[in-house]
Amino acid sequence: MTEYTFTLAFSLGSRGDDTDALIERLGAAGCDDAAVGVGRRGRLALEFTREAEDAARAVGSAVANVRSAVPDAVLIEASPDLVGLTDVASLLGVTRQNVRKLIVSCDAPEPVPVHAGKPTIWRLAGVLGWLVREKRYPVSAQLLEVAEATMQVNLAVEARDADPRAQAEIAALLA
Amino acid sequence: MALRHAERGGWRVVPLGARAHGWGKMYCPHNDPDCRCGEFCVTVVWGTPRSPENHARQLRRVVDRCVGGLRAFSNDED
Repeated sequence: MTEYTFTLAFSLGSRGDDTDALIERLGAAGCDDAAVGVGRRGRLALEFTREAEDAARAVGSAVANVRSAVPDAVLIEASPDLVGLTDVASLLGVTRQNVRKLIVSCDAPEPVPVHAGKPTIWRLAGVLGWLVREKRYPVSAQLLEVAEATMQVNLAVEARDADPRAQAEIAALLA
Repeated sequence: MALRHAERGGWRVVPLGARAHGWGKMYCPHNDPDCRCGEFCVTVVWGTPRSPENHARQLRRVVDRCVGGLRAFSNDED
């Protein structure tokens, strides 16, 4: 068993009204290994430190626990997945300048971002993979695994808005 | 210990009363739009967390990440 750290953010709708009752339901549903944030109306965030056989199971079971406590909670995002330079720096325990130097100003082509702008956003799994490949940078196996698992969750979340026919056509174009 | 750390950072710790799971809640002193705590501006303190060590670490992280948490409070070892 390995310990994985990740955060899940949910939208609650009207169920967010009785926070104290919600807390009890989350505790009873097995979310007692998370720091639970209830500071924004209609929102819920849980930072889990969860033991599991692998990261996918850790994240998956956490989503299931929350949904069993609050069935109509809508998952917004699993993190760490979509990250900027500051996020990568804090995850690697180095300075932002350090990461900027590694990623932005180097000879090898940058890891491909999800959004190239201000700020530029990457998928953590992509950045970590790139750091290992191009820079031989030491990255913890747990973090790599979590980044992959949260990315898969977020892709599923985003797919809620997907139009299957349009997606099939676009997939053919990108192939 | 984690709660003392929170209070030293200006957080207000409020017990929930007799409950099976939630022991209390801690409130960020900077609950305003500039605060980076977001949802964690109010964080649940479990009465019987699955791992007391991990829970203490989680609560410390919440406090230290807060805009008012500041590095000044990260030195105390307790």
